[in-house]
Amino acid sequence: MGEAVGEKGFQTKELTVSMGPQHPATHGVLKLVLDLDGETVVKCTPYVGYLHRGVEKLGENRTYFSALPLTDRLDYISSMSNNVGYVNAVETLFGIEAPERAKYIRTICAEMSRISSHIIWVATHALDIGAMTVFLYSFREREWILDLFEMLTGARLTVSYPRIGGVRNDVSQEFLDSLYKFVLEFPGRVDEYETLIDQNRIWLQRTKGIGIISAEEAVNWGLTGATLRGSGVNYDVRKANPYDVYDKVQFDVPLGKAGDVYDRYRCRMEELRQSARIIKQCIEQIPAGPILAPEAHKFVLPPKENVLKSMEALIHHFILITKGPLTAPVGEVYSATEVPKGELGFYIVSDGSGKPYRMRVRAPSFVHASVLPRLSEGHLLADVIANIGTIDIVLGECDR
Amino acid sequence: MRLKKAVKTVFFTEILQGMALTLRSMFSHAVTRQYPKEKRPAMPGFRGMHAFVRDAKTGREKCIACGLCGAVCPSQCIHIYTREDDLEQKKVIDRYEIEALRCVYCGFCVEACPVGAIALTEHYEYSDYSRQALYFDKEKLLDNWDRMMAGKKGEEYFEKFWFPKRDSFRSYDGQAVFRKPKEEAK
Ligand code: SF4
Ligand code: SF4
Repeated sequence: MGEAVGEKGFQTKELTVSMGPQHPATHGVLKLVLDLDGETVVKCTPYVGYLHRGVEKLGENRTYFSALPLTDRLDYISSMSNNVGYVNAVETLFGIEAPERAKYIRTICAEMSRISSHIIWVATHALDIGAMTVFLYSFREREWILDLFEMLTGARLTVSYPRIGGVRNDVSQEFLDSLYKFVLEFPGRVDEYETLIDQNRIWLQRTKGIGIISAEEAVNWGLTGATLRGSGVNYDVRKANPYDVYDKVQFDVPLGKAGDVYDRYRCRMEELRQSARIIKQCIEQIPAGPILAPEAHKFVLPPKENVLKSMEALIHHFILITKGPLTAPVGEVYSATEVPKGELGFYIVSDGSGKPYRMRVRAPSFVHASVLPRLSEGHLLADVIANIGTIDIVLGECDR
Repeated sequence: MRLKKAVKTVFFTEILQGMALTLRSMFSHAVTRQYPKEKRPAMPGFRGMHAFVRDAKTGREKCIACGLCGAVCPSQCIHIYTREDDLEQKKVIDRYEIEALRCVYCGFCVEACPVGAIALTEHYEYSDYSRQALYFDKEKLLDNWDRMMAGKKGEEYFEKFWFPKRDSFRSYDGQAVFRKPKEEAK
């Protein structure tokens, strides 16, 4: 403990404060141990693991099919993106491809979940910093988008919607129409959030020049997603390594300059508009066609009409469910997708049985949590909250 | 530029703009639902509380005791105990239990069942004071069906929400594609 004698002869001492794991501003169960000199943070140590459920290990004991709901519970506020990431990884491993229509639907869903995640992010980030009103406005749109999810998948949060080789069910006309209405209206709603905080002097003071990280350093820390792009690095998995139909739609990748909390905020707000733009194009282009790959019958459950009529289908059905695909190739795969938080990677090793031999999740939140000391040290205690918000972590994904 | 900034600083324009938005919202419709009093019906196909299909012909459960739902369940919360019935010459369930508190409502059991013997209903208010009340046995599950899915609704459920269908593997008439919104078409 450093001790110092102040100007007037008072003795001051560094104070160690434990923040969390039950603290509303730590976005879940993050624990920070802060050494404070007055209001200034001298040292910040994050402790993670309070929400550890062993998702990776559980994945090894489930067939590829039944492991899907586990991924819902990584980043639970954008579960659809995780599902899409997982099925993409498994499809690459099996060497099958989803039909075009399914890819469009997945892209639409992934962008919807990006919107819902960023809405929550801006709501809680502003709430933590002290702007309560944004929270109330953005939850109005979140409700809307969750209703759309419910209409499509039958669940609001933990959707478990994509399937290996496609998606669970087809989109209805009603869903497409209401979603189109949503994307037409949504950019206007983003303007409303911006009216509230974008130029607000308190907001600017709390965010500008806080938590600065240079482009080079951000890359070295392994940051991804909007947290990286706020520093001006143009890296987006959707552009760099397109999956699903991201190569068929036009969208911009918003970049920041200063790499501070404000620039990262600007990036994410712009991403909200871009997501709406992607969904709009996808709806306009969506082709008719199958939603599950017909040629991948060794990996996809057979149609229900056939199960009790054809012996082949019944056997496939039983084997796929009890043992998993027996024809899974031996090998390993790393497949990355751009989720709202950053780059989510699934590394799956297969030994040819119906279950993954090893499933590793590269969770962006985990990497981002490690940069917290770098961002916070030297700043005031209140800025720690702004920094937790700006790296956009979800502890479900961080602790897995 | 500098003048603009000075005006902004002195007159708090950005704050006033925010206030104007708040004022406008004061005169728009409230979007909040007063939840326990005002309930929104769940969308069709909602994945809520389980029900066991009661076969209209036999009046008994449809289940053939194959155990696939228990095998696929990611949270392993379905327990099936079977025996071979000598009289009927087939496998029947002795006990069939679902721990609803461990269920993640993924709907995989419905997808896995080869005969369509289990369904997820639109009931979502499963809170109770005891664990026992949320530990469903066969009778409770059949009762759920009678209460929530009997008649037409149950048939429709399997028609619409039992996947995958043959239609999932091909394109069919009336598949949803982009349709211009009505205002624009006028
Ligand atoms: S809904 Fe999912 S978790 Fe629940 S009983 Fe069915 S398979 Fe198991
Ligand atoms: S899968 Fe269907 S038939 Fe088989 S045990 Fe479960 S409920 Fe019964």
